[in-house]
Amino acid sequence: MKGKLEPSERQKLIEEGKNLKEGLVTLEEDLVKLTDELQQEAQCIPNMTHPDVPVGGEDCSIIRKTVGNPSVFNFPVKDHFQLGKALDIFDFDAAAEVSGSKFYYLKNEAVMLEMGLINWTLSEVIKRGFTPLTTPEIVRSSVVEKCGFQPRGANTQVYSIEGTDQCLIGTAEIPVGGIHMDSILSESLLPLKYAAFSHCFRTEAGAAGTATRGLYRVHQFSKLEMFIFCQPEESDSYHEELIRIEEDLYSSLGLHFKTVDMATEDLGAPAYRKFDVEAWMPGLGRYGEISSASNCTDYQSRRLGIRYRPSQPSSTNTKKGKGPTRFVHTLNATACAIPRMIICLLENYQQEDGSVIIPEPLRPFMGGLERISPKCS
Amino acid sequence: MQTVKLAAIPAAFSSSCFMFRPVTKTLGLISRRNHSQKPPFRLLARAFSAPALQTIDTTDNKGGVAVKPQWKAAIDFKWIRDNKEAVSANIRNRNSNANLELVLELYEKMLNVQKEVDRLREERNAVANKMKGKLEPSERQKLIEEGKNLKEGLVTLEEDLVKLTDELQQEAQCIPNMTHPDVPVGGEDCSIIRKTVGNPSVFNFPVKDHFQLGKALDIFDFDAAAEVSGSKFYYLKNEAVMLEMGLINWTLSEVIKRGFTPLTTPEIVRSSVVEKCGFQPRGANTQVYSIEGTDQCLIGTAEIPVGGIHMDSILSESLLPLKYAAFSHCFRTEAGAAGTATRGLYRVHQFSKLEMFIFCQPEESDSYHEELIRIEEDLYSSLGLHFKTVDMATEDLGAPAYRKFDVEAWMPGLGRYGEISSASNCTDYQSRRLGIRYRPSQPSSTNTKKGKGPTRFVHTLNATACAIPRMIICLLENYQQEDGSVIIPEPLRPFMGGLERISPKCS
Repeated sequence: MKGKLEPSERQKLIEEGKNLKEGLVTLEEDLVKLTDELQQEAQCIPNMTHPDVPVGGEDCSIIRKTVGNPSVFNFPVKDHFQLGKALDIFDFDAAAEVSGSKFYYLKNEAVMLEMGLINWTLSEVIKRGFTPLTTPEIVRSSVVEKCGFQPRGANTQVYSIEGTDQCLIGTAEIPVGGIHMDSILSESLLPLKYAAFSHCFRTEAGAAGTATRGLYRVHQFSKLEMFIFCQPEESDSYHEELIRIEEDLYSSLGLHFKTVDMATEDLGAPAYRKFDVEAWMPGLGRYGEISSASNCTDYQSRRLGIRYRPSQPSSTNTKKGKGPTRFVHTLNATACAIPRMIICLLENYQQEDGSVIIPEPLRPFMGGLERISPKCS
Repeated sequence: MQTVKLAAIPAAFSSSCFMFRPVTKTLGLISRRNHSQKPPFRLLARAFSAPALQTIDTTDNKGGVAVKPQWKAAIDFKWIRDNKEAVSANIRNRNSNANLELVLELYEKMLNVQKEVDRLREERNAVANKMKGKLEPSERQKLIEEGKNLKEGLVTLEEDLVKLTDELQQEAQCIPNMTHPDVPVGGEDCSIIRKTVGNPSVFNFPVKDHFQLGKALDIFDFDAAAEVSGSKFYYLKNEAVMLEMGLINWTLSEVIKRGFTPLTTPEIVRSSVVEKCGFQPRGANTQVYSIEGTDQCLIGTAEIPVGGIHMDSILSESLLPLKYAAFSHCFRTEAGAAGTATRGLYRVHQFSKLEMFIFCQPEESDSYHEELIRIEEDLYSSLGLHFKTVDMATEDLGAPAYRKFDVEAWMPGLGRYGEISSASNCTDYQSRRLGIRYRPSQPSSTNTKKGKGPTRFVHTLNATACAIPRMIICLLENYQQEDGSVIIPEPLRPFMGGLERISPKCS
């Protein structure tokens, strides 16, 4: 219509243009709807799975490694709840009044134990090149979703804050993943390795019936979490590194445990592969999960929008640093989850008189404390 | 428990990570000189103290129907009536909205209705007794009628009594705590400086504020936190994490030495517990975050879960005083502070804090208040801070506080004093709401009923041992060096693996 036209020609074109425009508007609306629906459905597709992961339910999980043996006691063992009561280091009853069930106060030496565990673990992972971090514990719910959690599902594990779009974190994985949201990192920065300390909050909805008293399943706890952003080709080897660090930490504390390669039905949607460490808890008479190490490949980074720019060999591209970006891979692994560690230490190191020995590596971080003794009543 | 000396982190770990240059021994503390100071940074001093209890919003109360209370403070109405001049003056001095006239009126009404109720009950009992004997049918019928009338009258009166009692309770709970006679009367300009320690540091180079310092040292991230969580959130990184750990571990060891029992607490609590401590979880501009779909809230201070530990209990006298040092994260909405353009750590939604809390006998609370402020002053002196301790004036006391001392430390980068701690004596305000009593021990000769003397309410006190973000501001700004590095004060070094200095990172 830009050229010179006869009025009737012009009129015909105007008509044509109008029809095309209306058709377009309708189609574009359809396109948006389709795209949204496609997006919604496709986002439900779980991450792909490492070829070595066993297929099936929890009974199909494979033990990769076993360290140590169950401790032998020549007296009746107590569980951590009983031990803690006599040592006057917990209070669950007052917490039930003040807050509700599955809450607790730590007292006396349990506080020193928490501090000691955090300080020791932090020093150990810093030695291994992790950057220490503390994080917000209130985050936007969109960030929770981008990490692969469902803040508003039925039986959600996530607490929401009234009157806001914010939630409490269930793990520092969320605020750490979010640090580099919507960013393009330069390749030279990778790998980024963080050790993040935070309190974690979980509703434990759907776990109401599980009659485990004490610290095994609680609504609030302290945790030190390792998180790695890396290049795709390296994530498998960083996964191995993370599980090795965990195994070193727990061996140093003298725990007996098995590392399990979790079967397909037990992986969360984000995890390409997941190793859990299950430690022997003699008072409970079973193994209990004390940590989890997941390789999420690009599942989280595609949602959080975290890319990196591979460095260009100088000869191939004149446009400096403008090569295509790729999504990073992300991994996360528990360095220390305080309540489960307290269970392990109390139950494994209990003595006949009800006292508990502190493992050597922790003592310098607890002012030299060697033993927690029952209080004279 | 045995006194634990906390040497948190051995020297071995520090060398590998931070690539700090070897410390020169000549650093010394910056020399001091007098310096005209800007007025103290008072904005929202209440952030660290119990906020004034706003009047409960009795919106549709024209019919006098009070909201059924979830819990009741054990208020001594008779004492209020017998001391109404003092109570009235106190309300005025504190600029409180409490309506004493209404309370007294409701109390009188309630007493009268109670008397009527008692009288009617007596009459009804008399009628019931009369009906036990042998009676003429007509006599019996008359008594039955009488009994029925009395019963109906009673039901109505008893309903009135309940309504009156609820309304009385609601109004009376607005009355703030009494005030220590030495507390200055008036607004913030009337507060009195009790003590000054040290002098403002002198710098022979332009000082930076903590925000600037932190950026260059790569120890904070506010930008990422704004994306992930919102404004007034932050990540601590690298040496700031060690600083937080070091401060907590050192402070904890210091207060344990002074007889405090260490504690970590739930950070989610029932909203009724928040109210009983004197806070308003659901008021407009509330400082309190609520959890969706529950009656639970996030704590703004460990004072709340610690006060709650002994809720609805009778403690034996021999247990007192109970002294706790509670570590927790704290969450505050800072609603109403949106405009205050202070960047950085000064006002944030989430922070770590170690709080001291004492339950004691009434006669001892004044002296424990002195002990708490002395501990705070010792701690902050040890870290080499310059500060003043302020006896807060009546208009700046929260409703629970009988007396409140704030410590305001010099923050050279901000160019003013900022509140780093608060120590309050709440006498029996919280304990009457939380239901915490003790049984005074009986001298063996006076009472045959062993241990059954009357109970009394305990007194409660709370004081900040260490509020991490404000302490970080003080340390960064006071110990900054010309090259942007920051010296770590001596007492903290053993708790930070021997770290002596935080240095700017090579970019």
